Amino acid sequence: MHLCVSHPGGRKVASSGLTAPAAPSASSTISRRTLPALSCLQAVVLVSAVLLIGLAGLARNGVGTATAAAPTQQLVVYTYDSFVNWGPAKEIQKRFQASHPGVELVWVAPGDSGTMFARLVGELQARRPTADVFVGLADSDLPAAIAQQVFQPLDYRLLPNLKDVPARLLLDPGRRVVPLDHGFITLVYDSQVIPPDRAPKTFADLLQPQWRKKIIAIDPAASSPGMAFLLWTIARFGDGPDGYLAYWKQLAPNLLTIAGGWSEAYSMFEQGEAPMVVSYSTDMAYSYISNHSTRYRIATLDGQGYEQVELMGIVTGVDSSRQRLAYEFLNFMLSTEVQALIPTTNWMFPANSQAPLPPDFARYAVTPAQPVRLPAETVAAHREQWLRAWSAQIRAY
Amino acid sequence: MVRRLPVWARQGRFRLGGLVWALPTLFLLTFLVYPLILLVLQVAVGPAPLSAPAGPPGAMPLPATSGVFGQLAAAGQEVTTAIGHLARGVAVIGQDPYFRSLIRFTAWQALLSTLLSVLIGLPIAALLSNYTFRGRALLRSLTLVPFVLPPISVALGFILMYGNNGWLNRFLAAAFGVRLSLLYSLPAILLAHAFYNAPVLVRTVSAAWQAIDPSLEEAARSLGASPRRVFWTVTLPALVPGIATGAALAFVFSFLSFPLVLALGGARFATVEVEIYTQIRILLNYRTGAALALVETILSLAFSYGYLWLEGRFARPQVGVRPHPLHRLEWPRRPGAWVSRMVAAVTLAAIAVFYVGPILALVVQSARPAAGGGGPAVAASGVVSGWTLQAYRYVFTPEYDAIVGDSPLASIRNSLVLATATMLVSLLVATPLAYAFAGRLRVGRGVAGAVPAEGEAGHLRPCWGRQLAARLSRWGTAVIETAAMAPLAISSVALGFALLQAFNRPPLAGLRGAPALAIVAAHSVLAYPFVIRTLRPALEAIGPELPESARLLGANRWQAFRTVELPLAATGLLSGALLSFAMSLSETSATILLAGPGLSTMPITLYHLLSARNFGGASAMAVVLLAVTGLCFVGVEAVGQRWVYGRNGRRARGSAE
Repeated sequence: MHLCVSHPGGRKVASSGLTAPAAPSASSTISRRTLPALSCLQAVVLVSAVLLIGLAGLARNGVGTATAAAPTQQLVVYTYDSFVNWGPAKEIQKRFQASHPGVELVWVAPGDSGTMFARLVGELQARRPTADVFVGLADSDLPAAIAQQVFQPLDYRLLPNLKDVPARLLLDPGRRVVPLDHGFITLVYDSQVIPPDRAPKTFADLLQPQWRKKIIAIDPAASSPGMAFLLWTIARFGDGPDGYLAYWKQLAPNLLTIAGGWSEAYSMFEQGEAPMVVSYSTDMAYSYISNHSTRYRIATLDGQGYEQVELMGIVTGVDSSRQRLAYEFLNFMLSTEVQALIPTTNWMFPANSQAPLPPDFARYAVTPAQPVRLPAETVAAHREQWLRAWSAQIRAY
Repeated sequence: MVRRLPVWARQGRFRLGGLVWALPTLFLLTFLVYPLILLVLQVAVGPAPLSAPAGPPGAMPLPATSGVFGQLAAAGQEVTTAIGHLARGVAVIGQDPYFRSLIRFTAWQALLSTLLSVLIGLPIAALLSNYTFRGRALLRSLTLVPFVLPPISVALGFILMYGNNGWLNRFLAAAFGVRLSLLYSLPAILLAHAFYNAPVLVRTVSAAWQAIDPSLEEAARSLGASPRRVFWTVTLPALVPGIATGAALAFVFSFLSFPLVLALGGARFATVEVEIYTQIRILLNYRTGAALALVETILSLAFSYGYLWLEGRFARPQVGVRPHPLHRLEWPRRPGAWVSRMVAAVTLAAIAVFYVGPILALVVQSARPAAGGGGPAVAASGVVSGWTLQAYRYVFTPEYDAIVGDSPLASIRNSLVLATATMLVSLLVATPLAYAFAGRLRVGRGVAGAVPAEGEAGHLRPCWGRQLAARLSRWGTAVIETAAMAPLAISSVALGFALLQAFNRPPLAGLRGAPALAIVAAHSVLAYPFVIRTLRPALEAIGPELPESARLLGANRWQAFRTVELPLAATGLLSGALLSFAMSLSETSATILLAGPGLSTMPITLYHLLSARNFGGASAMAVVLLAVTGLCFVGVEAVGQRWVYGRNGRRARGSAE
């Protein structure tokens, strides 16, 4: 009974069953009798071979192999995930390729801005960058980008659309980056829980005991909106134990939690865990335009909001033929045509002041009376120390 | 039974060993040792200046040293400098009260999480290993499902179930008018860690339980021991290796945990891993980050080594091959047993609620209209009512533009292909290693196995030199084995960084053209330790007599392994296979660093949906992830059982139940 009779069809059944990893039930025909010892090994080898082919298939869309398809020129752009999955990337690709025949625009965006930046820095350190352009650098990463020489100095004459960009958004005197868009970090509250007339209007209001455990903050050590809020308190109250640290000490009882990132914080807010969250000043416009709801509203504090600028630049070491294309792409990104897409796709304010704002966006997106932003060099010089002092202040142990 | 083999194979020249050993060695050197050396180098050299902005890309300056020896010497010097930097960094961390309290808290919460995981995992393992009931096989296959859920989905499930506005609190408020503040605290972190890690314990403990020879327990019973005494003196000691393995994994995971801690505890409960992330990713302080990662790795490896020692200490090879008996689950007629049964039933019910609650909440959430939608769907209380499959429609839309992103549908296929490949590579790499670590290389060579050396002193007492050599080799094996666990114990942020460095340099840079292969390699590095950890105790439980008998009856080594040891160790092998499969399905950080355009996996798609404010789509994706992995686990387990036991073997096993 246990004799291994070599079944003529046995091996065939086994291999065809095992080659379909997505349908494991198909291999239920295998039994020990039709699958002697060594052919098990063969089956494993066979499956591995088939998988390798499958994997090679998965890699077909890869950067390296796509060039072989046509005599097209590729421009590889790193950006953050939501710019592609949600933002205007698709539309930009369509229009840019239409106006530049023979050019293929490739977006690479598996992670958020910080992750993509770290990936680019890692590639540059190994001297093997795959990106030509980076779109959507957080302004808090600018000092690191300058120190690591990630971007090359730009010739602003080749970017004529810069003329409509306000000078205060040009953050780098060394001209290595240009702005993509900008926005403001403020508080967002649930008007079904907090009526608009009772909503906090100043930093001092936030300390009232009625807001105990009612605010969701975001961790500045892991996310850029969180860092923006921390910098805002530093700009408002100053450095040192009597400044922002004293404020955070009083604020702590009113914080429900300090979430790891914006997504976590905002989904907690939407679940009704707390009626206030640190978020963007365009959130009301978003919820009105996509859901016709004015439930989530914006609260500026002392008329302020912390300004965040998203930047773009050409990666160091891009060769001259692609450099021209990269300049054309940056200029295209700054055109009113693309900038007009920004408000209702990326939910930020366009960098180009001539770009028209959709009426509902203009109505519900809040521009604080007094935008606040600390200079990038100050932030770079003190960030680690600020974070550490804050972290020591806020820790539960 | 014995197949006719070619002459060279029958004469013992058939050394499958060559290939079997070359593969894991090469794999570990390339994908683990090399990246780690690069990481250490990074600490010494620091960020290199990236000059030549307008120069052609081919003209990147290379090190001026000529000759292989010169370069080797330079590299050696760099490594020495790096180690000096690291040592200084470690010293600084040891003296800094900020880092010290960080490390203390991290270890403390990991220890508590491990204890809680053991408390929750043991009853489930007891149920699965001792009782037969309808749906047992399904439950067994599904136990690992929580392990693959992305932390953010677990956090969302917890918030929906236990949050301030969660189901539990709404029920409590309606019934008793009270609300409990459960989340955003240390207990919440511990419960979430237990949610993840108890399933791992269930796998390892039930593998150990099923390997227990029932003759031992029966002998104890016939000698007059009460069932309770049998459990404490016979069963539990035999379970220790399984518990130790599971606890080691649970401890290491809780020690390195990062997103879950931030989501459910918040920044007030930051761990070492959060600090490493901040240092490497936000502040770009590679030195401090690497030094912290080193301290973290040493600590978690030290703990793992302790568990390994415990595992080896209690490992007792078994003689028999009788399967562990399974009892029918029924209410006892004897009145005295009621109390203990009640306790057991209540415990299991509580555990069921603990697991099913958050997952069910996720499922319900995915079928609700978007919150904040306003309109008629939102009742005055802010509770959304009504049902919709809109989120699923979005996830299953095939015409989603695959040029810019990847369609959620395609990400399911990608995940499955990557996970299957990872599982196979991990098995090929880890099985020989586990075999060696279990001391089975010597089994069947005429010399008694490493473990029963003392017990079998009767038939060949080795001279002192041999004893010393044996001891040294055992010690060396333990060191190598601990080192082989390193991928589990290293900060994922640091390892991701190391892999990124490695995959951008010449030997591996070729793989960047095929990101899928690079991802499989990275996933396999992270996954193979699971196979070692689950397979080794299972192999150790097999006495040397059985393969030796097979050899005496004429089987060659491969046949003895294939027909005797492998089927007996099958539960461990299957657990390892499933864990490596699960590891690949849930991995995100290395995937993000290596993926090209249009290559996304299920958890990455989930994160994309979240960052695009599509919370409904993200919940739907989490449910799809659960369903797909659940199906795969059932499938892999079924195929695996069939593969190892064959159709008849399965029935033979079943007849003992």
